[in-house]
Amino acid sequence: MSITIIRFVFSVFVLGFLSACSTLGVEPWERDVLAKDEMQLVSDPLEANIDDHIYFSKEASSGGRGFGGGGCGCN
Amino acid sequence: MAVDSAAADVVATRSGREFNSVTKSNKKSVATSLAAATCALLGTAGTNPVHAQEEPRWEFDTSLLYYGENDDRVQDISLNILARRSFVDDRLLTLGLTVDSLTGATPVGAAPMGVAQTFTRPSGNSVFSAPANITPLDDTFWDTRYAVSAGWQQPLGRLFRGSAGVSFSNEYDYTHIGANLGLTRDFNQRNTTVSLGVAFAQDDIDPISGSPTPLSPMLDLGDVSNRRGTESKDVVDVLFGVTQVINQNLLVQLNYSFSDASGYLNDPYRVLSLVDPISGDTLARTPAPGTEGPSHEFRFESRPDSRAKHSLFGQAKYFMHGKVLDLSYRYMTDDWDVDSHTIDAKLKFPLANDRYLEPHIRYYTQTEADFYRASLSAGEPLPLYASPDYRLGDFDALTAGIKYGWRTDSGHDLSMRLEYYMQDGEVPGNQLIGNQLQRDMYPGLDAIIFNFSYRFGIGR
Repeated sequence: MSITIIRFVFSVFVLGFLSACSTLGVEPWERDVLAKDEMQLVSDPLEANIDDHIYFSKEASSGGRGFGGGGCGCN
Repeated sequence: MAVDSAAADVVATRSGREFNSVTKSNKKSVATSLAAATCALLGTAGTNPVHAQEEPRWEFDTSLLYYGENDDRVQDISLNILARRSFVDDRLLTLGLTVDSLTGATPVGAAPMGVAQTFTRPSGNSVFSAPANITPLDDTFWDTRYAVSAGWQQPLGRLFRGSAGVSFSNEYDYTHIGANLGLTRDFNQRNTTVSLGVAFAQDDIDPISGSPTPLSPMLDLGDVSNRRGTESKDVVDVLFGVTQVINQNLLVQLNYSFSDASGYLNDPYRVLSLVDPISGDTLARTPAPGTEGPSHEFRFESRPDSRAKHSLFGQAKYFMHGKVLDLSYRYMTDDWDVDSHTIDAKLKFPLANDRYLEPHIRYYTQTEADFYRASLSAGEPLPLYASPDYRLGDFDALTAGIKYGWRTDSGHDLSMRLEYYMQDGEVPGNQLIGNQLQRDMYPGLDAIIFNFSYRFGIGR
């Protein structure tokens, strides 16, 4: 019973999300602002790498934006 | 070069095909159709034909970082280079290099005491003493870390984009090798992008003198009876994300990621104090006659050999009359009982003459792992798992900083960033025994982060 409800809620969520997404957005000629460097999700990849590495080595969490990081004996 | 030229031709043809399909009144030529079909089979169609007009070029992001902790703890000077070469047809090669030079002192894990304590160094060749009433630190921490990475991205057909990468890093006692694959697909006139990524890593840990048997005692100089060989761990990461353009000024992203680590997850140098169940003081011990060794009873930590983490990450980029707000939130939970929340905000203010200021604030909070222990009580059987690592404790962290950037006359970007990072945590009250209630059992952390970045391109 609960699985059916979860499936229903999940289906409504996914359908709602997709239909909402299809009405959002811009036309191709309206992308001048979105195309700017500072509007990229990761506008400074090197700084993001550095920060991920610092926080990975000092906290119990990592990743989220990208992969969990690692490759370091610091944690 | 020949490949690039061919790809440029394909993209130009592709561009022609798209134009033809939009203006249906135009008849497609046989040659165009054949070229388009070939292009589709090769799966090399460009999403942005403008790139066909550009020469291949390199872009370099370089950065020199200083990270320094209070009380002469960890100091890191790090050189980072990220090189990107763009090819025609929207293909991109990325190469990364990092060199870290680490020095300083790091907490041993043992509890502070009212008297000085002596420890055997990880090498097993000498001892060091920690003064009374402060968190014991091992001041011989030093290492040089080299990390390299390479990645490749390219369109796969009109709406898909694929990526592949490899990474390698090496330290004195640690070697990492990893690989990753990614795929994205655009929907709704490229306003929605769905991405899927997977990464594998295999790390080898070769602690100086061998890894200690978990929960075994720290021994006298020269006694390696509790030492094992090298260890390894495997990490698999999976990431699923959706990026959505909301309007001309707002872009949002939502990611779910899963990470599974298995193998040796201990810190081979960290020990717990074995304490009297009434006084909370660490039990004293006497080194064997004629040798030196620990003054008290210490046990090497023991963590589970697997860890599964789930993260939800949301980010928004919002353009507000020239200013850009970058806001993100992450929730993480794992089967070690660590739950964490991270909120991060940056606001970029443009100034005159291609200059900008960007204040940054980040707040982080986590709960302790279920096997986090400030010390081990001699009055109880040893638990299966125990770690005194403050990074697995209950703490909050705050980062506050500012970045100032400018563009040179030759079009190069420079920036300077200064940040302050602090951690403040506490040991759960039910873990404190006797005299420990009067001692500072949780080593807080204050650190300064300064980096200087320089971005330039060549070959345009």
